[in-house]
Amino acid sequence: MGEFSRPASSKQINSLRLLAVLFFAISCVFAFIATVVEDVFFLRLATEAMIFGGLALSVDLLLGITGLLPLGQALFFGFGAYAAALILKNWTVSIWLVLLACMLSSALVGLVAGLIAIRSKGVYFALISFGLAQVVSKIVFNTVELGASDGIIGVPNAQILPGLSSGQPTVFFLFALMFIALVYSLLNYLMKTPYGRQLIAIKANEHRVAFLGFNTWRFKLSAFVLAASIAGTSGALYPMLRGFVSPELMFFQVSGNAIINVIVGGTGTLIGPLYGSALLTGLRSVVGSFTPHHQLVIGVLFMIVVILFPRGIIGYLAPMLDRRCQKGQGTVQQEARGG
Amino acid sequence: MDKAILKVEELSVRFGALTAVKRVGFEAQRGHITSVIGPNGAGKSSLFNLISGAIRPMEGRVLFDGRDTTGFNAVQMVSAGLSRSFQITNLFFELSVHENLRLAAQFIEHGRGLFLPTQRSRLANNRVDELLERFALRSRADELAGYLSHGEQRRLEIATALACNPKMLLLDEPTQGMSLTDTQETEALIKELASDDLSILLVEHDVELVMNISDHVVVMHQGEKLAEGTPLEVRANPQVQAAYFGEVRGHAHA
Ligand SMILES: Nc1ncnc2c1ncn2[C@@H]1O[C@H](COP(=O)(O)OP(=O)(O)OP(=O)(O)O)[C@@H](O)[C@H]1O
Ligand SMILES: [Mg+2]
Repeated sequence: MGEFSRPASSKQINSLRLLAVLFFAISCVFAFIATVVEDVFFLRLATEAMIFGGLALSVDLLLGITGLLPLGQALFFGFGAYAAALILKNWTVSIWLVLLACMLSSALVGLVAGLIAIRSKGVYFALISFGLAQVVSKIVFNTVELGASDGIIGVPNAQILPGLSSGQPTVFFLFALMFIALVYSLLNYLMKTPYGRQLIAIKANEHRVAFLGFNTWRFKLSAFVLAASIAGTSGALYPMLRGFVSPELMFFQVSGNAIINVIVGGTGTLIGPLYGSALLTGLRSVVGSFTPHHQLVIGVLFMIVVILFPRGIIGYLAPMLDRRCQKGQGTVQQEARGG
Repeated sequence: MDKAILKVEELSVRFGALTAVKRVGFEAQRGHITSVIGPNGAGKSSLFNLISGAIRPMEGRVLFDGRDTTGFNAVQMVSAGLSRSFQITNLFFELSVHENLRLAAQFIEHGRGLFLPTQRSRLANNRVDELLERFALRSRADELAGYLSHGEQRRLEIATALACNPKMLLLDEPTQGMSLTDTQETEALIKELASDDLSILLVEHDVELVMNISDHVVVMHQGEKLAEGTPLEVRANPQVQAAYFGEVRGHAHA
């Protein structure tokens, strides 16, 4: 169960806020140190973690908040990446315009996919979302105009402001960090509104929501479109970082990794998926440099985390922090709630 | 304005070979407590499902508040002013009592403030306060619904259905599993709730309760309407006595 489902008065939200502040603080400190020691590799890797963090946030909005398992979220991530690559290759435009175009177009793609997928429930929704991503990735894989299996290479840098471009590692890391902070704040805000609470209610008991007079389909579809837009805009940052896009970005591996990032970090906590993405993107790269079997290592690690911390790292830490705070204040408040 | 708020005509639904509701028709008057009684499996909940838009009728019509609402879904029925509770407690168990009620009360904002912080929905928040008070749930407001006692959950079930400020409230066995005191309190509460602005349709196993508070009683048996009338008329009906009261007495003594 997502942590936002707890009573608004609960301390839980406060410890989550603390962990969120910590995340962004660590990121800034990291950027400073990496810039001072001029470590381009880790700056680039951390930027990638942020980009996949955006995808993870979109997955958490569906899985952790609304209760929909999106097995094909990479479809929108890949769509955004291709759209950005094509725009940057053909026109010289600023990053803002590229992101705006990707945000809107991936929302549109999300609307079409959502109209197909949202009518189905549970495992059927998951499979349709998976199927859609498979179909589109295969089409892209076979389309010569999109570079087929090679994808699109040589994507130029995008200008952020005069003198600042996506080619500068620190600048682009901070840009990605800012983007993620924005998306996180938006979602965090929505969880305090009747709209967001309604999504949580749908996850908790969709059947009853209809009898409260709310059209669950509309809420789910809008969440799906928002998630697609977040995934697409995150994806748009990818070619700016790596200079290329390939059909692999739409493959199940990317969707699956995003779900693992969310679950390891803490489903439904929003900040957890960002921790998960940072941790696992780093780990994949580091382990990958020692052994080609890094997926195996990640797989085993995933199992261990799921067994030891079924609510994920943040889902485990947040209630613990709360209990510590409460003991510090000398109050014994409903221990049962933490369990 | 029509005196009858709800008219059901020749309503039928089948589940495979079983006809759960067979050409049932009755009227419920504005401001009245109308009750549906009948033995287990008589089709009472199915009738509720048909009226509240949970399932579609195969034949017949439902007329609510001057409109033909046949085939309306649950959302449309709530918008028309008809809300229901469930026989099997149907709450957001992982959410707090306050949040359960706030979600339900949000309906009266009619889509306003959907993207503003929840505290800004004044109407809904006032409604929640009112309900916490009325259903004696104030002290449990921050507790998760799943941690409430059975009696409290049944109270919350009614309060949740009431939160959208309906014209008609359908209560499916509200006192099921309640202690004697809780049942008596609920009886008094239902009686209080009925007013010119709120008509009540009640399914209840507790015959004494029904006879005490109902203006009109419909008796169902094996999917069909067996009889209807005032509590006294129904009680005196020999068919009803044979099919229903005998059986319930038997249960009570068992
Ligand atoms: N969705 C369904 N699918 C199949 N059969 C159903 C369904 N709903 C109800 N039934 C059957 O229809 C008949 C009437 O059930 P219903 O729940 O309406 O009775 P009831 O009068 O509410 O009984 P109780 O007093 O036990 O609540 C029963 O035989 C039941 O098994
Ligand atoms: Mg029933």
